[in-house]
This record gives sequence, C-alpha cells and structure tokens, in this order.
Amino acid sequence: MKQLAILACVLALTASARASDHGPVFGYATPVNSQGEFSFDTGLFGRHGTGGTQFSTGSQIGYGLTPHLTFTAFIPAMFGSGSLPETRVFPGGEWSAGASWRFFHSVTQVGKRLEATGSLALVLPGPQPDSGILSGLTRAPGIAGTVAAGLASRSQYFWVGGGYTGFFEKAGSRRPDTTTWSTVYGFRPARLRRGYNQWDYRGLIEFTGEHTGDLRMHDAAVPDSRSTSLWLGPSVLAIFKDVAIEGGIQGPLYRNVSTSVYGRESIRFALNVSYLKFSSRTSTH
Amino acid sequence: MKKALVLTALALFTFAAHAEYDQVNMTVFGMDCAPCAHAIHVSMKGIKGVNKVDVDLNTGLVSVQLAPGNSASMQQFNQAVEKNGFTHKDAKIIAKGKLTGTAAAPVLEVTGTADKYALTGTGGNVASLLGKTVTVSGTLPQASKGKVADTLHYDSIAEAQ
Repeated sequence: MKQLAILACVLALTASARASDHGPVFGYATPVNSQGEFSFDTGLFGRHGTGGTQFSTGSQIGYGLTPHLTFTAFIPAMFGSGSLPETRVFPGGEWSAGASWRFFHSVTQVGKRLEATGSLALVLPGPQPDSGILSGLTRAPGIAGTVAAGLASRSQYFWVGGGYTGFFEKAGSRRPDTTTWSTVYGFRPARLRRGYNQWDYRGLIEFTGEHTGDLRMHDAAVPDSRSTSLWLGPSVLAIFKDVAIEGGIQGPLYRNVSTSVYGRESIRFALNVSYLKFSSRTSTH
Repeated sequence: MKKALVLTALALFTFAAHAEYDQVNMTVFGMDCAPCAHAIHVSMKGIKGVNKVDVDLNTGLVSVQLAPGNSASMQQFNQAVEKNGFTHKDAKIIAKGKLTGTAAAPVLEVTGTADKYALTGTGGNVASLLGKTVTVSGTLPQASKGKVADTLHYDSIAEAQ
C-alpha cells in the first residue's frame, strides 16, 4: 500500500532515464519532446542466455512541458524465466518516473544541432524475473541519473551517454548499483534524405556497456555477483510523420560475468513503436 | 451626411479585409528528421488563418500561405518554431497593411495584429503611399527568441489592389 502511494506520487511528478522515439533503441540519446507534445512508446525487449530467456515489455508516456523539459513515466511488464545479470541499459521490470532536461542546445545550421540532455528518475520495483538469483531479492526503490550528448543532422547522428542507478537497501538486501554507458552512430544515406511526408529511415550502430556492483542479501555481499559486459549491434529506425518503429539486436563483445550466478547471456534484441502527438497550440497575439 | 458615413464604413471594411500576412517563408535551423518537420507543420496549421504549410527538410524552408482576412501574427509563426526546439532565421514575407510614419521613416502596420515594422529599403514612391493600404514584400531579419524583428527590409512596395 505504501509502495502504491509512493508510485502515485511519483507518477504525478513523473520522469524517466531513457530518451524515447527519435533515438537509438539500446543506447542513450538527447532528443526530448516538443512543448505540449505527448509521446507514447511501447516495446518488446528480449535477453537470452544459458540461464534462460527473459522478455520485458514496457510502455512510456512522455509530455513536453517546455521545448527542453520532458516528463516521463515508464510502466513495465516482464515474463519468461532467466537467470541474467541486473541491467539498466535494457528496460527491465521497474516502474520509473522522472524528467529529462535538454540543458545544452546549439542549433548551428539547417538540419543540424548539438545538444546535451540529463535525466533523473525514481525507480520502483515492478514485475520481476521468476527465476535466478535476483528473483529472491527483497527489493527497494532506487534513483537513476543519465547524461547524453551528441549531434543530430540530416546525414549523421552521434551520441555518447552514461548513467548510474543506485538502489536503497531493504531487509538486508540491496540490488546491484549499476553503471552504464553507450556510444551510438547513425547514418541516413543521401537518397533517403527525403520529404517529411515520406518514410524516414536511418541505420544505427549501438555500443553499450554495463557494470553492476555487488548484490547484497542477508546483510552480506553475494560472492561473484559483480558483472561487466560490453555489447554491440545494429538497429534500424523508420519514421512516418508521427509514428516511429525501431528494431535492433546486440551481441556481446566482452563479458566478465559469473556463469554460476547469472549464466552466460548471449543475445539482446528490441522492437519499439512510438506515437508522437504534437501540439498545434500557439498563443494568440 | 448619411452617404459619407456609408462610404467611411465601406472604406474601413475594405481596409480590414486586406490587411494581413499573405505569405511567410521562414528558414528554420535544427530540423533533422520527419517528426521535426511534422511538428512544425502541425504547429503552423494550428494558427488560425493558415491555409497551407510546406516544410523542406533539406533546405530548412518552411512556407506558410495564409487565407485572406486572417489575423495571424508574426509572434505566432515564431512560437510555432520555438516550441518545437528549433531556431528561426530570416523570414521572407508578403503582407498588407497601412503605411504610416513619414517618407523618411515609414512604418508598416499590419492591421488585425499588433505587428508594426519600420521599413527600410529603396524603390517605390513611399511618400505618395503614406496613409494608404500597401502590399509589401521583404525580409524580416532574425530576432532573438521570443521577439519579433522591428524592421522590415522591403524589396517591393505598392498600393494594395
């Protein structure tokens, strides 16, 4: 009941750590909503390894209060069995609500901008994996912060970003604090730089990395529960006016993960659909 | 006396019906993708009196055609760009309004709005047009965010038909 009350308060305030719609499907990016714009994202995200397969679905609602400040709320769902490490790069089974602030915005040319966005969100436990070491954990809320910076243009995109999520302790248990980072490069070929009333495509290469700290249970750190992994893979984003569809897949470049604790994760994939409801309101003179 | 009143009323009606922006072409910086252009399109179309909007992503040109008798203001066009996180540069406009001021310092008042511009430029017999409704084609320079330029550099000026 207390958790529900906290959740209600948070949803009233709202916020999230991830950029939505225009950006990459795995990595961090800078776009935020227009003033008065509502965005609706829903996605299917999968992870597979020797410890099993986990799917999560998530829906995110965003609202642009100003051209540079967006409030978001993320509603999760998780299903499938798998013993896999904690992740924050990948949407998991957490409710979150927060705000994204584009604190740097430099528009230098037709079709080009440099910008940086920071996000802060409250993360609350939601549906959890039904097997594996994390399934038996007493969970508590956490705080997530991310920063991303980069370039968007008609031909190329480049973003770097990082984030940190720290969790509170509850009943002698604490989820691993997680540090994440990403680099994304996107390209739109010349023949696809078309009018806005045609499908807009771009291809992206997404590199992500993640380090999770010690998992604590019964007032003690679980041995070998730290993990570090690096992931790389392509994604494709297709947009028509106010609808965006994106899919991507990633494979591991490097894994320092205890196979006895978490198994061996071998693939990640995601499919995301967005709808953007722009506001037509301007003030009268 | 009655005839004079009718004539005055007719003159005022004619003046109001022909005082407005006809066309606004703005260069917008920062639009990289289809939703950016769509957002601008939706915002511009939401302004009362806007007939048609074209957005060219590769040149950044946003072309707005307005219906006769509209009362849309330049502030609204700028706001449609700014609220989506973009920047407007110079704007080419065609507008009708009353020419006031003096021959040395003419002013265009776009009736139906609070828009008023000091005119700069050469050509056209400005002195003979003072007090009349004119059609002006020219360039509004970029203004800082939330502001509208107060000077219009005209390319042509003529008595409105």
